[in-house]
Amino acid sequence: MWKQLATGSAVALMAATAGGPALAAGDEIREIRLLSRPQAAQPQEFQFVQLIAQEWRRLGLEVEVDIMPWEQMADLVWYNRDAWDVTAWQMVGRPERSDPDELIYNLFHSSTAPAGYNFIGYSNPELDAVVEAQRVETDQDARQALIHQAQAILSADQPNLMLVHPRSTYAFNASVWNPETVIDQSGIGIKNVWTFIGAEPAGDQRDMVLNSADTVQGINPLWISGATDSWITELVWDRLLRIGPDGLPQPWAAESYAWLDETTVEVVLRSGMAWHDGQPMTVEDVKFSFEAPMGEEVPMYAPFVGNIAEIELVDDTTIRFHLAEPSAAFLTATLAKVNLIPQHIWDPVLTDLATRPENAEDHQEEVPIGSGPFRFVSWRINEEVVLEANADHFSPPLMDRWILRIIPNQEAALGMLRSGALNFLSDYSGDPTVLEGLAGELAEIELASTTDIGFRYVAFNNRRPPFNDPAFRNALSRAVNRDLIVGAAFRGFAVPSNSVISPALGFWHNEAIDGLETGPDVAQSLLEEAGYEVIGGRLHYPEGISEALSE
Amino acid sequence: MAFVLWAVATILFLIFRLMPGNPLAAYIDPTFTEEQQAALIARFGLDKSLFEQYLLYLWNLMQGQLGDSFFYRQPVGSLILQVLPNTLVLALGSLIVAYIIGVIAGAYLAWKRGTWIEGLGIPVVLTTRAAPEFWVGMVLLAVFSFSFGWFPAGGASSPGAEFDGYLDLYLSWDFLSHLFLPALTLAIYFHGLPLLLMRSNMLDVMNEDFVTMARIKGLSEFSVVVRHGARNALLPVMTSFAFAVGYQMQGSVVVETVFSWPGLGRMLVGAVSAGDYALAQGAFLLIAAVVVVMNLVADLLYGVLDPRVSHA
Repeated sequence: MWKQLATGSAVALMAATAGGPALAAGDEIREIRLLSRPQAAQPQEFQFVQLIAQEWRRLGLEVEVDIMPWEQMADLVWYNRDAWDVTAWQMVGRPERSDPDELIYNLFHSSTAPAGYNFIGYSNPELDAVVEAQRVETDQDARQALIHQAQAILSADQPNLMLVHPRSTYAFNASVWNPETVIDQSGIGIKNVWTFIGAEPAGDQRDMVLNSADTVQGINPLWISGATDSWITELVWDRLLRIGPDGLPQPWAAESYAWLDETTVEVVLRSGMAWHDGQPMTVEDVKFSFEAPMGEEVPMYAPFVGNIAEIELVDDTTIRFHLAEPSAAFLTATLAKVNLIPQHIWDPVLTDLATRPENAEDHQEEVPIGSGPFRFVSWRINEEVVLEANADHFSPPLMDRWILRIIPNQEAALGMLRSGALNFLSDYSGDPTVLEGLAGELAEIELASTTDIGFRYVAFNNRRPPFNDPAFRNALSRAVNRDLIVGAAFRGFAVPSNSVISPALGFWHNEAIDGLETGPDVAQSLLEEAGYEVIGGRLHYPEGISEALSE
Repeated sequence: MAFVLWAVATILFLIFRLMPGNPLAAYIDPTFTEEQQAALIARFGLDKSLFEQYLLYLWNLMQGQLGDSFFYRQPVGSLILQVLPNTLVLALGSLIVAYIIGVIAGAYLAWKRGTWIEGLGIPVVLTTRAAPEFWVGMVLLAVFSFSFGWFPAGGASSPGAEFDGYLDLYLSWDFLSHLFLPALTLAIYFHGLPLLLMRSNMLDVMNEDFVTMARIKGLSEFSVVVRHGARNALLPVMTSFAFAVGYQMQGSVVVETVFSWPGLGRMLVGAVSAGDYALAQGAFLLIAAVVVVMNLVADLLYGVLDPRVSHA
């Protein structure tokens, strides 16, 4: 691509020196195709894409909005990395994303550009160095400085047009659940493991009935499947650490943990833990849980244990993890991520799977056995999943049962919340003002909205001109007033964004880059400075650059 | 019949592979590595050529293997069997209600031809027949569930209810109360066809000589209409019932979504939108098989109900 551009400018230069009419500008910029998903599936995205296209047209760009379903969009953006211009995209918040590494490294490091999540093809050696450094920096404050620096580099380069962090809105019935015990986890919301364990019944109803619009794919500790599935795995299986309500990892099945040196973590297992089938949990089980993904049969967890060089059992309660290289994210991305599984159940299964083409993701246990605060009771596909409190757990839930209903119809879910058939609205993608109205009308319905770790954005294909020019990306980004988007597309239920690290992650978020100055004037002056010119209402490349991609 | 099924299987295979999109889209995640992508592709045989995939697919089909769902990672057959009974109960229940009402009302309207009852009845039937299912469903939900609270608003049973097998579930009051509104919605949607069919058949039959004969014999009006007229007008309605059962195997996507009914329709839509070729193909193939079989049943039934057909 660069070579083509260089040739283009050389030709233009020759034309100018040959005494022909001096070119005042490069070629006209081709029509830009902006991808979005359909209105029916993603009403907010559809809305903000229209607004953004409008702003860009004002700059003299021809913008065509291309609507396609997610499967098609993902296929184009992910598997045909050279074939698109700009696309709307989103990241959802998950507890593990409370550590900044996953987002700041995988989305932007040049090594993930060919086939990983850096599908935009962003490449900046300075950023690569900083995100590599934060990965191995185990001193939290020094790491914070690096994470802030990375965000500043990204803000200057604008590889993406960061749009908003949505405010996820949930509701619950305060006459059923004591509001004091419903916990808001930073960046995740009230629908989290701390609430599910700690929620105290306020009356006779001791079952929590909650909803999801998405069906459950599987209940499997070795498969990262749909988002809803992860609510269940987090409750049925324990982990050594858990992400606390403050977004930082804290001891869970581990009684304590300590860094012995830069590459060694010592973990002391809580005593007296047992699996749901009554067998005791041992340090061998823990070792097995971390070694299982090292084989071929658990591909999705393999990246999280890749840095473990050796697992040493010191005594009956102490485990030492020796790492191949220092890793700051090890606690969050490995110890708080890998589910503890019983060796007596999974060892024979994995041995058998090794002889077949299937892997652990294909193995659905009849009755999943974990050690977590909830036991599995039943699963009826497309209808409900029932868990019951594990009274023998070291942190037993206060409720009796946790019943997840699959309800694809949002209006029906609201109606059920109103009638009491649901007492915890854990999934709501409808208009938040409608939910606000319901909460205003019924005293027992309490609303909780939280700024998400996830975000909505518009990704530029940094491989393709004109998006390979940081000045051009900056101008396009600054042409869009984020407050307008928050109001018009999200009805106020979002906060403007300029960083992949959400303000919900207060410790890691760089406040210095908040409040990006926007407006058509800012955008136009940036373009002029960089040599772009509007001729006959159409934006042209700077002098000497020709359009290599016109169709 | 085998040829029809082969043709359906082939068309299904091609349709899903020609659809834009990629079944791996569901897996895209920041921690998704190249090795994982390659492993997934190999796991589902997507690395083989289309022709190889097709041969493998036919070979597996002949052995009764529908393959594994990409989305649920479980055998397609067992997934379908989990939701098919719910769809069957809903479809059969609503069809039976619709046909009973349709047949009786159709015969009655034919009998009352030219009176004000017909003038009122036909527009009512046409209106309810034309009303969209989702709208009827939402209205019924709003009235009988949200306002009066007589019926639950979704699902096939109460949260956390436990049952010993399908029979216990389907005979429970809990299940029937959940079934009522979706079945009513579908019955309202379906009843137009048997009703209008019955009515026009009745009008034909009532002009036949044997009806006039019956009247001349001095039989009561009831006997003429029901025993001589309706019985003969019923034949085509019965065949249409057999067809309708076949077509309803696919479940009603709309009604299942409105009432959160755990049936085949919702599973099918999910499979298609997730690019889950195996599940969608398997489900459609099963439906096609049922339609073909029900056609056969309709033909045979006709022979039993009307001996003239088999003699011809």
